[in-house]
Amino acid sequence: MTKHYMLKILVCAVLFSLVFVSCNGHKEEYHSVMERIEAESEDYHGVTLSSEKYLEELKSIEITEGDFTFLIPERKSQIKSYACTECHTKSLNELQDSNIGKKAHWDISIVHANENIMNCATCHNINDMDNLKSLTNKRIDFNNSYNLCSQCHTKQFNDWKGGAHGKNIGGWAPPRAALTCVNCHNPHEPHFESRWPARFNTQKVKERE
Amino acid sequence: MSDNSKKWFSLNLNSKTKQSTGSCGCGSTTGGCGSHNNTVEVEQKKDGFEQVFDVKMDRRTAFKQLTASLMIGAGAVSTSCSVIAGDETKEKSQIDWEEQFKGNYKLMTDEEKNATVNRLVRSYQIRTGKTLNMSSKNAEEDVLFGYAFNISKCQGYMDCVSACVEENNQDRNSQMQYIRIHEMKDGNGFNFNEADDNYYHEVPAEGHFYMGTQCFHCDNPPCVEVCPVQATWREDDGLVVVDYDWCVGCRYCMAACPYDGRRFNWGKPEVPEEDVNKNQHYLGNRLRKKGVMEKCTFCIQRSRAGKNPACVDACPTGARVFGNLLDPNSTIRWVLENKKVFRLKEDLGTEPKFWYFMD
Repeated sequence: MTKHYMLKILVCAVLFSLVFVSCNGHKEEYHSVMERIEAESEDYHGVTLSSEKYLEELKSIEITEGDFTFLIPERKSQIKSYACTECHTKSLNELQDSNIGKKAHWDISIVHANENIMNCATCHNINDMDNLKSLTNKRIDFNNSYNLCSQCHTKQFNDWKGGAHGKNIGGWAPPRAALTCVNCHNPHEPHFESRWPARFNTQKVKERE
Repeated sequence: MSDNSKKWFSLNLNSKTKQSTGSCGCGSTTGGCGSHNNTVEVEQKKDGFEQVFDVKMDRRTAFKQLTASLMIGAGAVSTSCSVIAGDETKEKSQIDWEEQFKGNYKLMTDEEKNATVNRLVRSYQIRTGKTLNMSSKNAEEDVLFGYAFNISKCQGYMDCVSACVEENNQDRNSQMQYIRIHEMKDGNGFNFNEADDNYYHEVPAEGHFYMGTQCFHCDNPPCVEVCPVQATWREDDGLVVVDYDWCVGCRYCMAACPYDGRRFNWGKPEVPEEDVNKNQHYLGNRLRKKGVMEKCTFCIQRSRAGKNPACVDACPTGARVFGNLLDPNSTIRWVLENKKVFRLKEDLGTEPKFWYFMD
């Protein structure tokens, strides 16, 4: 008698658990979206989409910084008067002495840190005009100018590498391409100007009257 | 697609590819009426024409339904059979008929999706003489779209709003905008009651910060729950979309959305022909009509092609990050894992896929 009773309970339990399991299996439910992301990205195989075709016209270089490898726009071909030595055939001292009229780079003013911290020679090398230089006088290529900025702006540099600072271009699909520091910030005046908003909604004003 | 598998009734009075009609007039050449139903098709959900007509109803409802449809049908038939009407007019009526009785996009097969898109493109061509490029691309595997917004970077320039309107063909008369940029006082927290979302002065204003809201593409979207006709749903890549042709305009979803993410076409939306963005998606920026809901789709026509939404591309400050949440190497994942992020009204359990973060 008790044996039968136990058997019944066992069968019931098995049936119940079957129903419970199958219900759960069918429902594709997660407690939160973070849980979904975690679960579904475990067997991530990559996507068939690519943003390569949107980057075709962009002249870019691939950089690897820490764990991150991505594309940034090539810089030297975009600088109007590069290479610098095409004009700077004489040393700066000689140029200053010879009175040749209007000064070049007259439109550049430095609004970046203060004079105690920065002047032209903080980044530019008088003896090697075609390259930039680090604080310790190491050569930095114009294409990799972010290495210069990152000497002080370490937090921004970290965020930029990860993708929280700066701007991705092309598309969300791999390969990743991001603008580099000088594409948004003028290195001589890195702050953003204030300006008027792009639009004003006059209809909204009427509706809220 | 064979005509037999169509879920709605076709007039086919002026079809370019003439279908061979059987003796019973049901489009099949073999067997009697009803004998050519595949056993597989029996399980099919009722849809389109059947959804309307293949239900038990009293005479009054039946008459109502019939009259409504006949009005359209009569117009279509009269022009189709008319000797005077040109070929294009006939084709247009044919398209109108098919569009009237097509099913819910959500339930369509890929062929049917393609067919309706082709009809819409052709219809636009007949009406305006211009050619559209409309896509019916489905969600990609291994993709879940997510968005992050940096509130310490946004300066309130509203370039995103402009780009959005141009990209998504919103009504110019009512100046509909999906994105709202709220100007908030520093130190007051998120106080939407005191925030200004329609400022016009030089920005950034002293002592203020800016945050943008739009559709958050919730993983548990309340707008989808309340829709009585299932005209809005969550796609597999996480986008919450609207079938503008299935929407009845009841605005339940607008009331259900806790984020003011949805917009309604109170009038006939109008976009000057030269400003129409011709790169469209059925669920995205195709031209809408009066009385339907619409909202941000993360620019489905762009995002499903691998691009960033227009607002992301337009932002001059880089405050907007977009990407695939399932890709462990994506920038959006890095932001979620390394920055302090939060979402709006998280306690509601709507699970928005739109995060805010600070530097």
